[in-house]
Amino acid sequence: MDALIVIFITALIGLFVGMMKKPNLTLSISVLGQSAALVIMSYYGKYDSTFNEFEGIGFDAFHWLFAELVIGLSLLITISGFHYFKKEIDHLADYYGLLLFSLCGALVLIGSSNFFMFFLGVEILSIPVYVLVGIKKQNILSSEASIKYFFTGSFATAILLFGIAFVYGATGTFDFSSLQLIFDASSPMAIIGILFIFAALLFKIGAVPFHFWSPDVYEGSPDAVTAHMGTVVKVAGMAAIVTLFGHIFSAASGIVVPLFYVATIGSLFLGYLSALKQTNFRRLIAYSGISNTGFAMLTLFSGNYVSLWVFLLGYTAATLGLLTISQVLAKFNSSEIENWKGIGYKNPFLGIVLLICFLSLAGIPPMTGFFAKLILLINTYEQHPVMVYLTLLTSVIGAFLYVRFILIAFAKDSNAEKIAIHPLHLVVLSICALTVLFGWTLILF
Amino acid sequence: MTADVNNIGTSLDFFVIVAIALFVIGAFGVLTRKNMIVLLMCIELMLNSVNLLLVTFSKYHGAADAQVFVFFIVVVAAAEATVGLSILIMAYRNRKSIDIELFNKLKD
Repeated sequence: MDALIVIFITALIGLFVGMMKKPNLTLSISVLGQSAALVIMSYYGKYDSTFNEFEGIGFDAFHWLFAELVIGLSLLITISGFHYFKKEIDHLADYYGLLLFSLCGALVLIGSSNFFMFFLGVEILSIPVYVLVGIKKQNILSSEASIKYFFTGSFATAILLFGIAFVYGATGTFDFSSLQLIFDASSPMAIIGILFIFAALLFKIGAVPFHFWSPDVYEGSPDAVTAHMGTVVKVAGMAAIVTLFGHIFSAASGIVVPLFYVATIGSLFLGYLSALKQTNFRRLIAYSGISNTGFAMLTLFSGNYVSLWVFLLGYTAATLGLLTISQVLAKFNSSEIENWKGIGYKNPFLGIVLLICFLSLAGIPPMTGFFAKLILLINTYEQHPVMVYLTLLTSVIGAFLYVRFILIAFAKDSNAEKIAIHPLHLVVLSICALTVLFGWTLILF
Repeated sequence: MTADVNNIGTSLDFFVIVAIALFVIGAFGVLTRKNMIVLLMCIELMLNSVNLLLVTFSKYHGAADAQVFVFFIVVVAAAEATVGLSILIMAYRNRKSIDIELFNKLKD
């Protein structure tokens, strides 16, 4: 809760300093505030704080891990987007303000312990992103992406609220801990409610069958915003799904498990199969994100949530690394995969980071992605072996997809022009690569 | 607190049916209409149907917390309408139209 307040104040200060068009100062304040929040959050519960007594938001060991992850990711995203928004100086304040407000929403959503805070978290998370997607105001693709995200997003909000209203009608409480005790899976009204909530949350994390917005929106928005949607929003949404459907509504598992099957298998297959024919890098990342969401949802079958965290760590670090590389290549002014040809020779460092990130996404040892997927699959195998076979099949398609991209990146290109990296991008890329390489050691703790 | 919801009294039944009807009308409008302002109105209609539903259940359970939730929804709906209208103006400046079917440049 203290961390949340620090981030909110940082966002306000960043907003006003950004309006004075002082990019370096804005970045420093933003990084300082988020680092402070990261430190405060790591001491959560170890000191007395008046704010921590607020009953609406609280972090247990599991949610605390997710809160640390989103703050860390957001810190890296603000650093990696600096180079772009320094040039778009008019939108500097919007970027640094809205990104942090959205982070506040993510923390509220992760820590929520009743439906009031849950709903507010979803909205504070989403509304700034609707604006951020359309931040290139003169660009017609950006405004189209913004419109698509806004209308589908508010439609999902209405569906979420409808579900919450029905759950309240059936149980008479908004509080998660009392809901867990009195939730009755035989009441048709409660079932309608959780189905609506499930649909809305699938939309927020971009899983099949509510994934259709994500490639369009990812393509139309700037790389830094895409990174925010692909990492922070996904992590917060997964944490919310696990809280609700892993713990609170576990009494209804007989009804929701078939839906998990459909969503997981649909996401895995549709994501990878559609990704095969993409020529645009951000669309490729969007489809890869859809199938990785499907992978992350495997955790709902096994109930081992620490492996989910490690998986999300590997996935988000790899995605953020790739989107940062995409920002380094921004001078080409398009995200077509053609531009990536031969970057392994033009700049060996970029090539190595790209190789590490793609190998992790493909699930090849010794990257974090491999160990996380291994544990997820082992845990799922006991109860749902069919699921594991289908997942392995899609992993083969995924590995083919990623290896093909690696081959493009290391193909000989006659145009042997060197690519220079901005120092801030270098920092972000190094951190992402190290996380992907050594993040799996956290399983041991 | 787990009351039998299937035996809601006749008067409350009526409110629930009206709320569901409003929600369905709103959802139908979002899926079929082309004018973005109408779309925005349909989404507001859906949110307001939820408000009606919550007040009805609040009355039924004899607790006020759902009525507090209604205020949260009203505030969020206002914020969403503000953002939505600004996005709409930006889109109009780029495309000189608010017909949602004209925004079809992004696709596979």
